Amino acid sequence: MRIQLRNVERSYKAGSSEGWALRRIGLSIKDGEFVTVMGPSGAGKSSLMNLLAMLDDGWRGEYWFGETAVHELNRKQRAELARRQIGVVFQSYHLLEDLTIAENIDLPLSYKNLPSRERSKMVAEILERFQIGAKKDQFPYQLSGGQQQLAGIARAVVHTPALLLADEPTGNLHSTQAHEIMQLFCELNRHGTTILQVTHSDEIARYGSRIIELKDGEIADDRASQTPTYEAAAK
Amino acid sequence: MLSDVLKDVRFALRQLRKSPAFTVTAVITLALGIGANTAIFTLVQGILLRVLPVGDPGQLYRIGDKDDCCVEGGFPGAAGQTGDFSIFSYDLYKYLQSNAPEFEQLAAVQAGFGRLSVRRGQALPKSLSGEFVSGNYFSTLGLKAFSGRVFSDNDDTPAAPPATVLSYSAWKGEFNADPSIVGSTIYVQAKPYTVIGVAPPGFFGDRVTVRPPDLWMPLATEPYMRGAGSLLHHADSHWLYPIGRVRAGTSIGALQARLSTLLRQWLRTRPAYTANGASTLISRQHVVLARGGGGIQNMQQNTGKGLMMLMILSTVVLLIACANIANLLLARNEARRAELAVRMSMGANRMRLVRQVITESVLLSCIGGLAGLAVAYGGSRTILSLAFPDATNLPIDASPSLTVLGFTFLVALATGVLFGTVPAWISSHAQPIEALRGTSRSTRDRSGLPQKALVIFQAALSLVLLASAVLMSRSLARLEHQDFGIATQNRYVLHIDPAGAGYGVERLPALYREIDARFSTLPGVAHVSMALYSPLEGDNWGECVIQQGHPQPGPNERCGSTWDRVSASFLSSIGVPIVMGRDFNEHDTATSPAVALVNEAFVKRFFTNQNPVGRHFGLDKVEYSGTFEIVGVFRDFKLNNPSEDIRPVFLRLLTQPVTDYKEPIMDTIETQSMYINSIILDFSQPQQNVDGLIRGTLAGIDPNLTVMDLRSLDAQVAGNFNEERLVARLTTLFGILALILACVGLYGVTAYFVARRTGEIGIRMALGASRGNVISLVLRDVLVQIGLGLLLGIPSALVAAHFMQSLLYGVHAYNPLAFVAAGLMLAACAGFAGFLPARRAASIDPMSALRVE
Repeated sequence: MRIQLRNVERSYKAGSSEGWALRRIGLSIKDGEFVTVMGPSGAGKSSLMNLLAMLDDGWRGEYWFGETAVHELNRKQRAELARRQIGVVFQSYHLLEDLTIAENIDLPLSYKNLPSRERSKMVAEILERFQIGAKKDQFPYQLSGGQQQLAGIARAVVHTPALLLADEPTGNLHSTQAHEIMQLFCELNRHGTTILQVTHSDEIARYGSRIIELKDGEIADDRASQTPTYEAAAK
Repeated sequence: MLSDVLKDVRFALRQLRKSPAFTVTAVITLALGIGANTAIFTLVQGILLRVLPVGDPGQLYRIGDKDDCCVEGGFPGAAGQTGDFSIFSYDLYKYLQSNAPEFEQLAAVQAGFGRLSVRRGQALPKSLSGEFVSGNYFSTLGLKAFSGRVFSDNDDTPAAPPATVLSYSAWKGEFNADPSIVGSTIYVQAKPYTVIGVAPPGFFGDRVTVRPPDLWMPLATEPYMRGAGSLLHHADSHWLYPIGRVRAGTSIGALQARLSTLLRQWLRTRPAYTANGASTLISRQHVVLARGGGGIQNMQQNTGKGLMMLMILSTVVLLIACANIANLLLARNEARRAELAVRMSMGANRMRLVRQVITESVLLSCIGGLAGLAVAYGGSRTILSLAFPDATNLPIDASPSLTVLGFTFLVALATGVLFGTVPAWISSHAQPIEALRGTSRSTRDRSGLPQKALVIFQAALSLVLLASAVLMSRSLARLEHQDFGIATQNRYVLHIDPAGAGYGVERLPALYREIDARFSTLPGVAHVSMALYSPLEGDNWGECVIQQGHPQPGPNERCGSTWDRVSASFLSSIGVPIVMGRDFNEHDTATSPAVALVNEAFVKRFFTNQNPVGRHFGLDKVEYSGTFEIVGVFRDFKLNNPSEDIRPVFLRLLTQPVTDYKEPIMDTIETQSMYINSIILDFSQPQQNVDGLIRGTLAGIDPNLTVMDLRSLDAQVAGNFNEERLVARLTTLFGILALILACVGLYGVTAYFVARRTGEIGIRMALGASRGNVISLVLRDVLVQIGLGLLLGIPSALVAAHFMQSLLYGVHAYNPLAFVAAGLMLAACAGFAGFLPARRAASIDPMSALRVE
């Protein structure tokens, strides 16, 4: 599933002037790539993530998701496409505290009109795969930060999205937990999930195969990762 | 301590100023809640809790406790079964007075007093309210004259010159506060009376009534004024209520028993109560000694249930308002968590925080109470004018009295504490560290439970009010739109008093002919008729009917029938058809045999499965059972009480007197019934300026004939439902108010939760939730709250309906339609109130929501 952005721009009105969050973005992500987006605060990382996640409609340009021209879709069609093809992992996990871990993971499935039996099976499988089955009936506040993020990722990938977007997925974790999460990302990537993550950490960035540097809303650099950490680890 | 409280008050004022929208919303809500309560309490205080403005009212007791107005004979209740004697003849009153030394004084007042024609000098007569009272009336009540003197026992003797005492309000309003009126002569029902004094200001008589007496006259002058129609010396005609001052230390129970014994002793001396086996009922007869400090309780008994129901319903409205404010405060305190946390981290203990929050709520409720007083004043005035549209000198003031002010203050205080307690309690349990941490990553929200519980509570109470409103409205509709059996369109009723204009019985036939001739020539008049009582004016006469050939009825036999004396075209003028036989006609004259028309209920009671036409009946005694020949049967119509089943009725002609009665009381009835009270005019089409036309015509006949009342027959019929209409309207108003408050509460809480759940909704949308998913997520919550409200509300409404049953007409208390309608109304309005924030939730921009999160 190739993802392409052509001349994408995003601006925000600030009083009478207009501030640019993204300018002239041209980007192509191949199927199965693990891309890291970096850049200083205000560089446009989150705007790019929201745009790719189809949470934002206020941009201009062309956005191709495989053969689908996202820029030609209406809000409802974009939401439907995102529901089927994209998973999102948040820095603050954003688990719903009134739902158990299993219910949280079930959440994206519940919006897909899948039979509940099938949903239960999918949730059980992902819980087992992520080794958090014992926590399934616990509430988020009863888990550590790492466990919560694990559940957050499980929720993001339970419906086997083609694209996984992760905004600072390890930002609130200590280094051991961060590396465990990254190992999990590599594992998902090896199984064919295209991943795009945002991070400030060079170390975390190296888990990806490609690093894109954003500055003032523009792509300042787009390079292959020197030695992807997971490859290093594999060696 | 005091300075701390002042600081709290100052801070609370600052807080209220800081959030004007919150303050205004809360004050309006409170003003409506407290205002509704205060308005109803003003009526409760003015009617139910009213104490006569007399000396030591606690010592006053009335012999009798029922509203048995106005003239009765025989045993009380159907076939004497109740035995509760509440109305007394003059003889019986005097007998009790002379044999009950436990009373320091025992006075007697006329049970049903009415309008009298009063004239001073050559001025046109006025229609004023006058009451016959015993000579010791004012001294029993402990009252002295404002001017002149009040009655003494000497004024109440046959030889005394006729004297009258004016009420203060009549002296001011009707006689321009002329001091020379005392000692002058006025003409009451064309009889000269000397005004001996003016009663003290504020004294409105011995009962709360829509037309308090403008003047009082001694009982001894009753024969002087009424002539042959007098009741004073008919020992078996009961028309007085005795009220007296009991000596200190008297056992009321023992006195009641003794008075009952005296009553039975007296009854045994009267043939009317012993003949034909009637003495078997005497042992059942008794009196109830009722507290008399509030006066004769007729209005209290008639309006008490309705008022108490309104008081309860307005309290429910206030509770809903409290729940609303409590919700607002909870939401507001949530926004003030940081401030409260800072206070706690600075060392404020829980009590201190509770005090702060309660101070704010009490301050708020006091402001609401003040605004509520204004609402109450306007409300009371409106309610009084709706409830008593025909009142003159109504002794109920819409302005708040000290008692009402005290009540409002207490309600405001209680309200403040009530709606402040929950928020205060929750605030006092705030964890400072949580609040100071500010926005957390948690989307967990446990603080909503009390708010949701309050919404459920509001929904339940609203359902009670809505169901009550539907029931009362349906009941009123059934009452108002029932088939009365008469035509009312384009018909007018003119009430006059020929006796008041000085007409003797001998002049009446000529007067009636003149009335018929003059009014018949008015343009558009189809029928003119005259009657002792017109339909549904609220009064009628009843007598024991004996069919020819039937033995004297036994004491347990139902022989009572309502009767009316009318002119020949009475039935035509009110559109009532003859169903058998014929109507009155020109051949029915003073010299022809006395004829009568009877209704279907009469036939059913006295001539079951028989043709009544041509049969005879009479009144009270077998020897008179051939007096009247039935010439026709007319279709049943409601003559007296529209809420009751139709009673047997017979109609007699005004032009056919019965002259062979041996008993003076029968002669009295015969004479009295010759005096018409109503002229009914049936126009063939709607008329302009009817009022001027009718008044002018009457004045042309005799300027001394006073218009006692003039209204359309529609208005006369509608006047029967003033109280029911008021109760139904207020219940509906309270229901709507409750619905609005509940929906505003639900809207507020839902909007508040949507705002608090912005992050969660953003996450859900980011994870694929559609707008529909979000709307259903929010509405699900709303529906759960409303569902629980209905679940609690339905049994509560059923209980409320059970207690309302006696106020309902033609509607069962458990009418399923009322509950379904109330539930649907609540669900629909609540659904709408919940949908607005739900729609807003669905339009949340997930990106912004996540940024906030």
